[in-house]
Amino acid sequence: MTTPVLEARDVTMRFGGLTAVRSVDFTVNSGEIVGLIGPNGAGKTTFFNCLTGLYVPTEGTVSYQGTVLPPKPHLVTKAGIARTFQNIRLFANMTVLENVLVGRHTRTKEGLWSALLRGPGFKKAERDSEERAMELLEFIGLAHKRDHLARNLPYGEQRKLEIARALASEPGLLLLDEPTAGMNPQETRTTEELVFAIRDRGVAVLVIEHDMRFIFNLCDRVAVLVQGEKLVEGTSDVVQADERVVAAYLGEPFEGDPSTTKGEVQ
Amino acid sequence: MNTLPQQLANGLLLGSMYGLIAIGYTMVYGIVQLINFAHGEIFMTGAFGALTVYLYILPDGTNMLVAVPLMLIGGAIVAVLIAVGAERFAYRPLRGAPRLAPLITAIGLSLALQEVVRNFYPGADRARAFPGLDATHDIGSVTIKDADIFLILAAIVCMSGLAWFVRKSRTGRAMQATAQDPDTAQLMGIDTNRIIVVAFAIGGFFAAVAAVAYGLKYGNVDYRMGFLMGLKAFTAAVLGGIGNIYGAMLGGIVLGIAETLASAYIDEIPGMQQLGGQSWANVWAFCLLILVLLFRPQGLLGERVADRA
Repeated sequence: MTTPVLEARDVTMRFGGLTAVRSVDFTVNSGEIVGLIGPNGAGKTTFFNCLTGLYVPTEGTVSYQGTVLPPKPHLVTKAGIARTFQNIRLFANMTVLENVLVGRHTRTKEGLWSALLRGPGFKKAERDSEERAMELLEFIGLAHKRDHLARNLPYGEQRKLEIARALASEPGLLLLDEPTAGMNPQETRTTEELVFAIRDRGVAVLVIEHDMRFIFNLCDRVAVLVQGEKLVEGTSDVVQADERVVAAYLGEPFEGDPSTTKGEVQ
Repeated sequence: MNTLPQQLANGLLLGSMYGLIAIGYTMVYGIVQLINFAHGEIFMTGAFGALTVYLYILPDGTNMLVAVPLMLIGGAIVAVLIAVGAERFAYRPLRGAPRLAPLITAIGLSLALQEVVRNFYPGADRARAFPGLDATHDIGSVTIKDADIFLILAAIVCMSGLAWFVRKSRTGRAMQATAQDPDTAQLMGIDTNRIIVVAFAIGGFFAAVAAVAYGLKYGNVDYRMGFLMGLKAFTAAVLGGIGNIYGAMLGGIVLGIAETLASAYIDEIPGMQQLGGQSWANVWAFCLLILVLLFRPQGLLGERVADRA
């Protein structure tokens, strides 16, 4: 049950003189939902970008299922890591279905000639691809909107579509960058269920989030990144009880201040 | 001869040629926001590639029905290789550089290609004869040449093929995705470098088709032919809305017809007798561009920039 899917070893990312991420070790096992939290500017997104090949770490390695990841984003996706974005980055002028089909890019093959000649193999591949895409749209509950333009969907559905598009590449690991940003409590709850359902499909999930209740409900394990370094890692209870985490978010308590003596993240 | 239907047909034919070349500008711009000013020269090298096949590879007196497809293949190979080579060795190293750098590179490349052809292609410093397809047909009051039939058929086949390719094929979808957001496209597993190469290759192929049509229609080619045709095609692309393939074709046709009608009829307007004729055609073409840019800067079918971002 605990085979590592993603292993980051000693990952350091420097931009000139600035060290955004400093020797972070991090593992995601199969079947796990892992959270990554930290105050603004802690280096969470930089770390994410190291995992997806957008940045090549200055030091250290990131491996997926035992193989070191190639430094090209499209090859990382091909290897089996998919992601969503903090700000929605759907292909706004494409339909819902087309967005998911783009996500399937690495899982479909098409030679130039078979496409131009539209042979039977091509048509079959195209049909299979559409079926898989529709299956995903049903999974997130957007099948009835397949031909709508992505930009015309309401916000919450755009977020879901991003997840479907990421799942379309048949990843072993899904990275969610603030999936509930801007959502109301009810939408957050459905997202939570969606993430559990994704895990049940056999996909490991890594989530960056600011919504603490969401993270602590969801995750089997939580890592806290502060100023580029991993401060604590453990189950929700361990992390919530850790005073350093509270200090990193809220500052050091005053001597004798009764409201902060309990040491719980609100 | 100079009836209105004839003028419209002339304009449509000229416009189809502009449109075919304009595809190269618009596809490359749509994906990498680069105006490939060397595209006119890619068109020119396509013409010389086709001419080479005719002069040095095919035996004398080959039936034109056999010769034209082979010339097309020769021209396409040359134009596609040069377009893809330009991307690989001139533009790709400058990806991410300030926009002025690739623009100046494009202008330099265009001069270089002209001079290479002028100095090294035998007899290319003057116009070289290209086999024409001059047999004419009368359709009602309109007279067209065989070359015109080739041009219009080629334009229809190429355009409908491209429209299908971009909308329905996997690579075409990846192209749309890359045009809308290259970073996200990469993270969706699309090799954007490959997509850019495909865009350049399609542009080169279309330019070669237009170049063969040009040679067959006008009967000669020279090393400077790419300059004005390239500029007009670029105008057509902007006119139609740069980045939009249908816009490129529409812009080409609008430009061709406007230019033809203006040079044929404008001297009938009192006081403008001096302004008619072929020598003023370019003036009217570029006046049209200025008007469109003033009143519809995004072009006929273009989207507002806000939608693209």
